[in-house]
Amino acid sequence: METIFQLIAILAVVVGTLFSVVGVVGFIRLPDVYTRLHATGKVGVFGVVLLLFAAVVGQPLGWGRGLVLISLLMITGPATAHALGSAAHRIGLPRQGAVRDDLVHASKSKS
Amino acid sequence: MGTLEIIFTSILYISLLIHIVLMSVAFYRVWRGENVIDRLLGLDLLSTLTLAVLVLLSLISQQVIYVDVSLGLAALGFVGMIALAKYVADEQMF
Repeated sequence: METIFQLIAILAVVVGTLFSVVGVVGFIRLPDVYTRLHATGKVGVFGVVLLLFAAVVGQPLGWGRGLVLISLLMITGPATAHALGSAAHRIGLPRQGAVRDDLVHASKSKS
Repeated sequence: MGTLEIIFTSILYISLLIHIVLMSVAFYRVWRGENVIDRLLGLDLLSTLTLAVLVLLSLISQQVIYVDVSLGLAALGFVGMIALAKYVADEQMF
């Protein structure tokens, strides 16, 4: 049983590191603020959550504290991404290859 | 201290090294960003990667205190990033 938990922890650490690498490579390579926002969401939600899962399954952390931090990350990550994307649209940053803009009236109507 | 333990520890150190390299890349993007949202995005990424490094340190040294520090860091980073995004969008804080 100990061996199975150790293997699960190793797999979670490897996959989480892979997600972090993919997120940062997307943050460098993608052409636009909005697509970069899409790429960096992977680091917050998948990378750190899988590392925390490894920390819960492998020894040091209990389930309670791990679940608190995992739920905090899963709530605050999309909220931060939404705030940054809304700010980028509000100050009118350019989009590359966008077909249409669904928020073209929303930025003028509310303050 | 079996073979699996040694493999796990070496994978943890390699992952820590990879995360520190990723942090330096994100810091470079904060330093030479294209626009303000790009720099804020790099700052958010830097905060998240600091969280990952703290969790990895907790896994390496088998101590829970690093995860408590990362809990406070996550909450502060969330509030600061929301406030900075609202300040950039509206040019006022409240």
